[in-house]
Amino acid sequence: MKLPLSWLKEYVDIGDITPTELSDKLLSIGFEVEEIIMPRDDIKGVVVGKVNEIVRHENSDKLWICQIDIGGETVQIVTGAQNVKKGDVVPVATVGAELPGGKKIQEAKLRGIDSYGMLCSGGELCVDDDVIDGASVNGILILPSDFTPGENIMSALGIDDTVLDVSITANRPDCQAVCNLAREIAILVDKPFKMPKLTYKCTANAEGEIPPVKILEKELCSRYIGRLIKDVKIEKSPKWMRDRLRMCGIRPINNLVDITNYVLLEFGQPLHAFDKKFIKDGIIVRKGVSEKITALDGKEYDVDGCLVIADAEKPLAIAGIMGGEYTSIFPDTTCVFLEAARFERSNIRRTSRKIGLRSDSSTRYEKGVDWQTTEYGSNRALALIDMLKCGKICAGIVSDGIPQPQNKVITTTQKEICNLLGIDIDQNVIVSLLKKQGFTVKVSGKVLTCTVPLVREDVDGYADLAEDVMRFYGYDNIISTYSENTHQTRGYMSDHDINSERLKSRLVAMGVDEILNYSFISPDAAEKIMLNGAELNEIPIKNPLSRDISVMRTQLLSSMMASIARNCARKNDVMRFFELGKVFLAKELPLKELPDERDVLCVGLCNDGDFYTLKSIVGEAVKLFGKSPKYAPSTAPYLHPNQSLHVEADGIIGDFGKVHPLVCENYDINANVYVAHIDVSGALNKPIELTRYNPISKLQPVDRDLALIVDKSTPVGDMLALVKSVSEYISEVKLFDIYEGEQIPQGYKSVAFSVRLQPAENTFADAEIKQIMDNILTETAAKFGAKLR
Amino acid sequence: MNYNEFLSETLEKLEKVSSERELAELKATIFGKNGAITELMKKLKDLPPDQKPQAGKAINDLRVQLVEKCEQKEKELHKAKIEAALKSECIDLSIDKCDCHSGAVHPINQVRKKLTDYFVGNGYIVYDSPEIETDYYNFQALNIPPDHPARDMQDTFFIGNGILLRSQTSSGQVRLMEKYKPPLKMICPGRVFRNDDDSTHSPVFHQMEGLVVDKNVTLCDLKGALEGFAKFIFGDQTKIRFRPSYFPFTEPSVEVDVSCFKCHGKGCRVCKNTGWIEILGAGMVNRKVLENCGIDPDEYHGFAFGVGLDRIAMIQCSIDDIKLMWDNDVRFLRQFR
Repeated sequence: MKLPLSWLKEYVDIGDITPTELSDKLLSIGFEVEEIIMPRDDIKGVVVGKVNEIVRHENSDKLWICQIDIGGETVQIVTGAQNVKKGDVVPVATVGAELPGGKKIQEAKLRGIDSYGMLCSGGELCVDDDVIDGASVNGILILPSDFTPGENIMSALGIDDTVLDVSITANRPDCQAVCNLAREIAILVDKPFKMPKLTYKCTANAEGEIPPVKILEKELCSRYIGRLIKDVKIEKSPKWMRDRLRMCGIRPINNLVDITNYVLLEFGQPLHAFDKKFIKDGIIVRKGVSEKITALDGKEYDVDGCLVIADAEKPLAIAGIMGGEYTSIFPDTTCVFLEAARFERSNIRRTSRKIGLRSDSSTRYEKGVDWQTTEYGSNRALALIDMLKCGKICAGIVSDGIPQPQNKVITTTQKEICNLLGIDIDQNVIVSLLKKQGFTVKVSGKVLTCTVPLVREDVDGYADLAEDVMRFYGYDNIISTYSENTHQTRGYMSDHDINSERLKSRLVAMGVDEILNYSFISPDAAEKIMLNGAELNEIPIKNPLSRDISVMRTQLLSSMMASIARNCARKNDVMRFFELGKVFLAKELPLKELPDERDVLCVGLCNDGDFYTLKSIVGEAVKLFGKSPKYAPSTAPYLHPNQSLHVEADGIIGDFGKVHPLVCENYDINANVYVAHIDVSGALNKPIELTRYNPISKLQPVDRDLALIVDKSTPVGDMLALVKSVSEYISEVKLFDIYEGEQIPQGYKSVAFSVRLQPAENTFADAEIKQIMDNILTETAAKFGAKLR
Repeated sequence: MNYNEFLSETLEKLEKVSSERELAELKATIFGKNGAITELMKKLKDLPPDQKPQAGKAINDLRVQLVEKCEQKEKELHKAKIEAALKSECIDLSIDKCDCHSGAVHPINQVRKKLTDYFVGNGYIVYDSPEIETDYYNFQALNIPPDHPARDMQDTFFIGNGILLRSQTSSGQVRLMEKYKPPLKMICPGRVFRNDDDSTHSPVFHQMEGLVVDKNVTLCDLKGALEGFAKFIFGDQTKIRFRPSYFPFTEPSVEVDVSCFKCHGKGCRVCKNTGWIEILGAGMVNRKVLENCGIDPDEYHGFAFGVGLDRIAMIQCSIDDIKLMWDNDVRFLRQFR
């Protein structure tokens, strides 16, 4: 909310507090000043001047010599402007003046004539028609004739004010009003608050003329006050009012509309002015039924089911949001019906969203306007109309609505408040701070009975009172205590979190960097990794920021590939990445219940290792959970069909291998990329038990080497696994060479490995060793057709 | 033969030996089958019996002396040989061969872990709560009814049928309180989502919710808890400041600032010359929230706080662009190894 300091000063004397000090004070009571908008400081020495005399320069066709009154002094200025005449009031940059852009004004001689300054255009002062009419004309800015010569141009134009942009929390809609914020500041600076004038004279009678008001939906409109103003003269509002509106970001229009906006800013009460001649019979506040209305913005809105202000025949306005185009105030309006109403905030919010129309008024109503403010707003507008002599106010009032609501009453004690806060505040201090804020407090022994002013709709219980006490007592008085009066509790991480941390540590130790990707992806992402997005049941977001991030991810692969591709494109094509993140699996779409959130580990290697590197990373990761991985051929479409495996262990399931070349093409990656995509949810949620120790034999092991010749296509890993299973005494089988070529028949390969035999109780006899080695040969021959080399 | 003469001659020879091979040869000439000592021993039998003991002792002394000298020489030579080898085994120590390097946990998760450890050590449990949530847990139970203006404070992503992406980890408060009864101390870290994407906001970010519910919990206890946390993260000299604020699920509500860790309150670029850095929102749990979770607000009080982990990471690591957090650029990630 914009708070011009000159406006604030009208209600409270803030003395010589600087804007920064005021901001700090506001911060201490919960209102953060987002910006202090200072007047521009690059215009100096420019004053209002009156052209007393203007004659042509003898030696020039274009130049004029002016004698200008700059307040008790007359200066001679030579100007080239052609739009100045005798009697005009103009901005004058005197000798020594500074203008935007660092321009400095000095004495000069123009074709032999001394010139002591310069007349300025609107552009030179960086002002436009919003600030003052005529500012954008080509030539010197001609000021209104009532400007006083000698006055500083900044104050004359009303652009010398400092404005605070105050952020108002959602619980204090009342402070979205200059007047109510001033009331808070008055408490802060301990000065009285001066209420704006709310009284006016009624100078006309409107018996029988003022349209009656009937509210059919009192739940949605709890108060409606209508007043009539006759003999209205639509004209420009006074400069001070226009200046204030402008500083608050509202464009001045005409006196009547400006007054409604002024009251909106001052009291937080939206008002609407109708041209009375368009109201047929009376006002009805009702819901729209298959109707349309063209609003002030010139667009047509379907108001079916929306609350409208209607007359006997048609809707006149979308209640609290915007008036209709044809009932609004025009230059020829002579009789105005002024509405001040209270609309239910959530209905305004719903309607505004439904029809897609927001206004200053609806924004204000959405936050909540209280019952009393409606009356203040109406009266304040009339007081301004009276003051500015815009028309004759009629004596009659039409109104409808619910009776004045009961004030909330909160019964509490000093102890209750202080127990919540943890510090001891004297009861009298509490009472005094609440009273200053408009609460009525009855003290009866230790019991405080607090009546909440209607404007404070946010206050519900003693905790709210505690907050209001603290705001002015000062939060710096809250000390640090360490829960001395509470129970000891046991802190721990869940198995899930402990396991996740351990898994990450293990991956990091293997040189893998952790990456993070958004939880939502493009619906096109699945196709890029050769999956079908529809089959994956990707959950769509109703209001995504963009199509690129519009469905919840069911896999981490596409983001992994995109991350790798991004790095490759930046000429960094070596990396090892992992992401441990959630995927969202829906049983059905649209969602009827919360989806399954599963933990997936995705690993990606780019130009850093091969299939076997990834296999060992996957293996190490699986082994963390105390399980041996079981491998099978993979059918994952995004993987190389002959360089990929499916892996399973208890609580672990996934696929890994070389990325399919078509997938790499989809990401424009020209590198060796290997990925693993493994659901680890089951494993993460089980505690990892410490490993049970296997006794270590004290006996020396025996090592024997073997070389077997097998068919080229034989899976060596499977064969070695068979070798290991031949005898319980085989503790280790180690591959050391696979050879094809000379001395080996075409289509065959030689597999050389060593076998470690570990005796358990007694050292082996030669016969025992021979028996085991023979068994190896027999079994590998039977299963794999192996022959001793 | 004069023993002394033999000794000095042999020692002289030994002195000249310069390799283990030469030493072996010399030793053979002394102690070998036909070596000098062996020969002397053979001649012993020709001596008269009365001279035998004396001569025998002399020969033995001589032998012991020579063995000792040879062993000494052997050690010297072996040491010299090793040293020569070491000299030849020079490598270029100035280069690196990156056979082994570790990876890095993402800075946001490093912060998450650090904070988690702190709070676990202080008796908090870590609670995990769904990222796709119902309107009830994300809003209604937290005292944010439908069409409440506080919903504007968070631009929410909706899925439909009252299901949405949680906009705050506060939803975890409600789920925890429904499941467990006080005394409660928990943190709930995780991803949250808001329909907001500009230079300072990312639509996905990380929060850590904290909740303590017990009898006698006060606003001062909240300050103590947060001050401890702030000192742990930003250093012992850190101070914290409460400012009144508004959250529908706490009352009173506060914004919490920490004194700038860089300038310690004097004012600098990090704190935008204010001396303070805003790090989190907190407050005393609103009694309506306790009631919604079946906890008697007249018996129990609670405090709650929500920290932005991304923000803490950005402050601590001097990261000035939030996009870097999600860009996964190796040049960024590797700095955190």
